[in-house]
Amino acid sequence: MKKAVYWTEERRAYLLLVLPALVIYWAVIAAPTVFSLVLSATNYNGGPLFSASRPFDFIGFGNYTRMIQDKFFWISLKNNMYIVLISVFGQIPLGFMFAYVLHRKLVKFDDFFQTIVYLPSIISTIVVGRLWQLFFSAYGPFTEFMQRFDPTWQNKLLIDPKIAIIPVLFVILWMYTGTYLIIFLANLQKIDPALIEAARIDGATEWQVLIKIILPALSGVIVTSSILAISGSLRSFGLLFALTGGNPARRTSVLALYMYDTAFLHSPRYGMANAISVVMVVLSLILIIIVNTIEKKFGGSED
Amino acid sequence: MLKRSTVFLLTLLVIASVFVPVTFAQDKTVVTVLNYMDLTAPGTQRQLDEIWYQFSLDNPDIIVQREDLFLDAFHNKVEAYAAADKLPDVMFMWPGGRSTTLHTNGLVKDLEPLLGDFLDDYQAYVRAPQAGGFVAMIPSTITLSHAFYANVTLLESLGLSVPETYEELVAMVPTIKAAGLDVVLMGAQDDWVIQSCLFSMIVGRLTGDEKLEEILAGNAKFTDPEFVKSLEFYAKLYDDGVLSSKIMNTGYGEVKSLFAAGRAPFLIDGDWATGDFISDEEGNALFSPSEQKGIKMTIFPAIPGEINEKTSSGVPGVGYGMSSKIEAGSAKEEAALRLIKWLSGKKFQSLELETVGTPPSRTDIDLTQFPLEPLIIERIENFSASVLGSTYVLDDIFEADVFMPINIGLQEIGLGLSTPADVAKATQNAYDSWVK
Repeated sequence: MKKAVYWTEERRAYLLLVLPALVIYWAVIAAPTVFSLVLSATNYNGGPLFSASRPFDFIGFGNYTRMIQDKFFWISLKNNMYIVLISVFGQIPLGFMFAYVLHRKLVKFDDFFQTIVYLPSIISTIVVGRLWQLFFSAYGPFTEFMQRFDPTWQNKLLIDPKIAIIPVLFVILWMYTGTYLIIFLANLQKIDPALIEAARIDGATEWQVLIKIILPALSGVIVTSSILAISGSLRSFGLLFALTGGNPARRTSVLALYMYDTAFLHSPRYGMANAISVVMVVLSLILIIIVNTIEKKFGGSED
Repeated sequence: MLKRSTVFLLTLLVIASVFVPVTFAQDKTVVTVLNYMDLTAPGTQRQLDEIWYQFSLDNPDIIVQREDLFLDAFHNKVEAYAAADKLPDVMFMWPGGRSTTLHTNGLVKDLEPLLGDFLDDYQAYVRAPQAGGFVAMIPSTITLSHAFYANVTLLESLGLSVPETYEELVAMVPTIKAAGLDVVLMGAQDDWVIQSCLFSMIVGRLTGDEKLEEILAGNAKFTDPEFVKSLEFYAKLYDDGVLSSKIMNTGYGEVKSLFAAGRAPFLIDGDWATGDFISDEEGNALFSPSEQKGIKMTIFPAIPGEINEKTSSGVPGVGYGMSSKIEAGSAKEEAALRLIKWLSGKKFQSLELETVGTPPSRTDIDLTQFPLEPLIIERIENFSASVLGSTYVLDDIFEADVFMPINIGLQEIGLGLSTPADVAKATQNAYDSWVK
C-alpha cells in the first residue's frame, strides 16, 4: 500500500499563504503579549532591558500581590465592569433598536436620525471628553441650566465619588451607540425582505417578526458586537483621560488609566503596569468565552 | 498620458527632495529638544519668534528638532523616553521633584564644568546642587508654587478687603456666598495642584522644613502631630467653607478664565499664573491692563498656630539640561551647550520677565527698562516683598512613591473619603515601602 504523503503540494501552498499573516500576528500581537507576561514577573523600572548596568530581578507574583492589595485596582476594575455592562446591555440593545426602527422605516427622516446617532462615533475621543467635561463642570452649562429651575442646586455629578461614574457611563453610551447602529443596520439589510413579507402575509405581528426571524438571524452579529463592546470597554482610556483623568481621587479610574498611571505617572513601575495589562487580557478572554458560550446555547441560526 | 520627459523630471524631483536635505544636513548638527510649553499662553508666540526662530537664524549650523508638551503630557513623555533610553539631547527640567529620574539616574550632565564663568552672571542659588548632587540645569528664577490672587475690585463691591488673617477670611465666607460666589478657586482636577499650590505652603507654615528633613532622614514620621496638624488645617478649609469640593471638578486650564469672570474673589495657584492673565501680542487678555490694577497678588493669610510667618512654598525654577549620552567634546555637545546658554541667557530671561513676570536669575537684567503690565509689576514688587521666606514643595523633596498618596489623600479629604489621620498613615506606609 502506498504511504500517504503528509506534505502535499496543497498543504505546502496553504502553509506558504498563511505564513505572512502568522509572522505578523506573532510579531505584533503574540510576542508583545508574551513579553508583557514576562515583564509582569519582574521589578523592571525602566532603562535598557538587556544592559548589564541595569539588571532587573524576577519577583514572581509580587506585582500581582501588590496590585490586588491596592484599593485603586479594585476601584478601577469595578468601573471597568460598569463600562462593560453599559456597553453590552446599553449600547448594543440601543444600537439594535435604532437600527431596527430605521430599517423597518418606522420613522420618517431615517437618514437624518442615522447621521445624528452615528455622528458622536466619528468625533475625536479627546474632543468628546473635553466637551462633556466642560458641559458637566461645576461651572458649566448643565449647572447653569439646572440652576434656572433651582438657584441653590449644586452640581456634584463629577464630584461625588458615589455617582461620578454615572456621567462617564452616559457619555460612553452617547458616543458608541452609533457604531452598533451601523453594524446592525448593515446586517439587517442582508436579511431577505421576502422572508419578512411572507411572515407578515402569514399573519405574523411586528413583534413576532422581530423575535422569530430577525433576532435569530442576527445572533452571530450580536456576539461579535458583544466581543467588540467588551474588548473596547476594557481598553477604555482616551475618553476617561480627557473627561475626568480618573479623578476625583481616582474614583473614576479604569484599568487602562490605572496601568497608565502606574507606568508613566511620576516614578515608573513597568513590571506592575504589565501585570495590570495581563489581568486586562485575561478578563477580556473570560468575558468573551462567556459570551460565546451563551450564544452557542441560546443563539439561533443565521441561515 | 504624461510624457516620458515629465515622468523623468518628476522622478528626479522626488529623489532630490529626499537626498538634497540629507546632503545639506550633513554639515549641520541636529539637536533634539523636549520643551515644556503652554501653546495657549499669551506670550507663546513671542517665545517662538524671538527665542526659537531667532536661535535658528543666529545658528545656521544647528538644526533644532523641538517637541513641545505641557503639564502631565510632558512629564509622562519624559518618563517614557527615560525608560526607553531615548531621551533628547536637551530637555526642560526641574531642579528635583518631577525631574528626579533625570537627576538621580545619571541621565543628564553636570553643566557647571561645561559652562565655566558663564554662571558668574547669575544669582548664587543657581550653583546650588540639585537632586542629583550637581547642577544639571540653570534655574531661570525662584518659583513660588503658592500665590493668593485677590480680586480687589470684586471684594470692594461686596464691602470687603483682602484678609490678613485666616479668621478674617472665614468671616467673609457668608457675605461672599450670599452673593452667589465661591470663596476660593483652584483648578484641582489634576491631583498635583492642591499639594503643590496650597498644601506645601500650609506644611511650611505649620510643620516646617526641619520636620520634613527629619521625616526624610527617617527620624520622624508623617503620622507625627506636626504633620497631621497641617492635614487637619487643610480639612478645616472645607469645614469653614473656604474651599469647596468643586475645585476637584475644575480643570487647571479652566480656572483662570473663571477667576477673570469673577466667579470668586480669590484664586490659589502658582506665581507663574500671572503669565495667563496678561495681554498677548494682539492685546487680548483675561484681565486688561486697567483691570489688572484691581488684582492683588499676595500669600495665604496668617494661619492660627503657624510657626513660620508669611512664607510660601518654593523651589529654584525650571531650566534646560543636557543628555548624558552626548559624547564629551563632540560637535553635538557644543551645539547643545550653545542652545542651553541661549535658553538661559539675557534675551530669554528678559522675555520671560516681560511675558510671565518671572524675576530673572541673571544679575544683568535691568527690570526698569521693560514696559511691564500692572500684574507683572505687582508680582515683582509687591508679591515678592510680601513673602518673608520660602519653604519646601513636597513633590520637590519627596519621591513620587511618597508624595502620590498625599496628592490623592488631599482630594480624598476634600471629598470626605479620608480623615487627616488616614492620609498621614497611608503616606507613612508609602514612605516605609519606598525606603525598603
